[in-house]
Amino acid sequence: MVDRMRVEAVTYAYEAKPVLEDLTLTLRPSLFYGVVGPNGAGKSTLLKLLDGYLSPQAGAVFLDDLPLSSYSLADLAKEIAMVPQHSHYFPFTVEEMVLLGRTPFYSRLGKPGDKDMKIAREAMETAGVTHLSGRLVSDLSGGERQRVTLARAFAQRTKVLLLDEPTTHLDLEHQINTCRLLKAKSEEGATCVAVLHDLNLVAGFCDYVFVLDSGGLVKEGVPAEVFTPELIHKVFRVSVPRLNHPVTGRPVIAP
Amino acid sequence: MRLRPVALVLIFIAAAVLTAAALGSVPIPLREVLGILANRIFGLEGTIAGEWSRAREAIVLEVRLPRVLLALVVGGGLSVSGVLFQGSLRNPLADPYIIGVSSGASLGAAAGLLFFIPQGITGFGALPIFAFAGAVFATWIVSRLGRQRGRLEPTTLILAGVAVSAVLTAMVSLLMVLRIQNLQDVYLWLMGSLSGRGWKHLAVAAPYVFLGVLAALWLAKDLNVYLLGEEAAHSLGIDVQRLQRWVLIIGSLVAAACVSVSGVIGFVGLMVPHALRLILGAEHRRLILHSLWVGAVFLLVADTLARTILSPTELPVGIITAFVGGPFFIYLMKRGSGYHG
Repeated sequence: MVDRMRVEAVTYAYEAKPVLEDLTLTLRPSLFYGVVGPNGAGKSTLLKLLDGYLSPQAGAVFLDDLPLSSYSLADLAKEIAMVPQHSHYFPFTVEEMVLLGRTPFYSRLGKPGDKDMKIAREAMETAGVTHLSGRLVSDLSGGERQRVTLARAFAQRTKVLLLDEPTTHLDLEHQINTCRLLKAKSEEGATCVAVLHDLNLVAGFCDYVFVLDSGGLVKEGVPAEVFTPELIHKVFRVSVPRLNHPVTGRPVIAP
Repeated sequence: MRLRPVALVLIFIAAAVLTAAALGSVPIPLREVLGILANRIFGLEGTIAGEWSRAREAIVLEVRLPRVLLALVVGGGLSVSGVLFQGSLRNPLADPYIIGVSSGASLGAAAGLLFFIPQGITGFGALPIFAFAGAVFATWIVSRLGRQRGRLEPTTLILAGVAVSAVLTAMVSLLMVLRIQNLQDVYLWLMGSLSGRGWKHLAVAAPYVFLGVLAALWLAKDLNVYLLGEEAAHSLGIDVQRLQRWVLIIGSLVAAACVSVSGVIGFVGLMVPHALRLILGAEHRRLILHSLWVGAVFLLVADTLARTILSPTELPVGIITAFVGGPFFIYLMKRGSGYHG
């Protein structure tokens, strides 16, 4: 299968100290990737490099074999969607907010057309926020806002979806629903990359895991191979037993 | 905006202009005002019944009309500028003066009045130039200081604005203490007033406001996206740094043009966009268009009050805008809804 994105020998430093050093990895279509690692390991930085918000000091990031720098911002917005860790919520209605995901697709002085409206409605349906469509985003709960943000990203209809801790403020039901959604998106062909703190969500839903620690890729692979007690001890500095899920056989990390 | 609301708004503005032109220390009946205007605009000499003196014609055409129109332009300009600053700094409490336009303009005007224009506000030709230069200079300094690692950063920018404004305001006070001739003129200017302004001033401010509004509408879509935050805006195809730079330039020029002819009129540029956002939501195209006419009419009403309630004494219009604006603002605030970081 052809690679969708490649990160080649990328180094990024905010000040003098590199956050990521000489990082290389590839992302393929139709897979749901989890990125895990302790705080400060460079997970968010990786996502920001993947969507071109940050430019690497060395190395390059490729989308469909072309370096990100060869794309215009507007074109990139049609290929890669990002759900950042922090969003601002102004008094937009839910529908207006989701329609913002369509802005790369219509002109500066234009308005969203019928097709845009249709796509936005589908995205709201998928994210389960249709019943909120007339409400102001600023009046919603944290979990509802998160789902609206997800719908906005879905409305971009991109090949790549990047999500920085999309489940952090959600209750258990919505954490699981969000992961199911991303899994479904990847099965439709998208490349989904999510930074997640809950290793069990990663183990339960992701097809492939990248483990980052202090600036580098420590290990990558399918969850069953990656999540060994030795690795978890090495990276997170805690000793936990690893069990296997009685139904799926996937790893379960039980602290 | 659909066609019918646009027509309604235009009729409303026209009615407000006529009423304001009729009111004053010499009241002039509405039909006389209409007649004078019709004669001038359509060249209908004598076809409209009615007789009026040359003096009254001069009052309407040379004194009240330009002032009324200037109130519309300055009110609309300050409000649209306020929309731009609140949007680009993602801060609902930003106003056109937040990054130093007012203090810069004040220093320019005070220096001009105290050193270069001995005839005072009446010798008005050069004053807007001094004020405008001061405003542009101040915002340039603030925007240089408001960077971190080469990027404009809203919080840094606001703090830089506060610091620079403090220094410039101190310099204004120092000037006023050191040179006391023209002191009253400086003071009046600092409070903001449209008293004695004519066509000349309208010609200074109107082009900036007109072009500024067009530019603001051009950027409206980007500003909507930008409200989501820098990262989200970037991923939706917005060059965030370039957007911020343009919005600051446009907002500052519009505000500087307004301040240079009117002095520092407070509250309009903060209150109008904020109140309208509570009512209409955050969509920028809507917000810009409605802020334009609401701000225009608001300042026209305020200025008409300023020159009529204690007639023949005139109040600085800034006093009225603060008196009306403050309580209304508190009402809106208490009514709730609006912002959550």
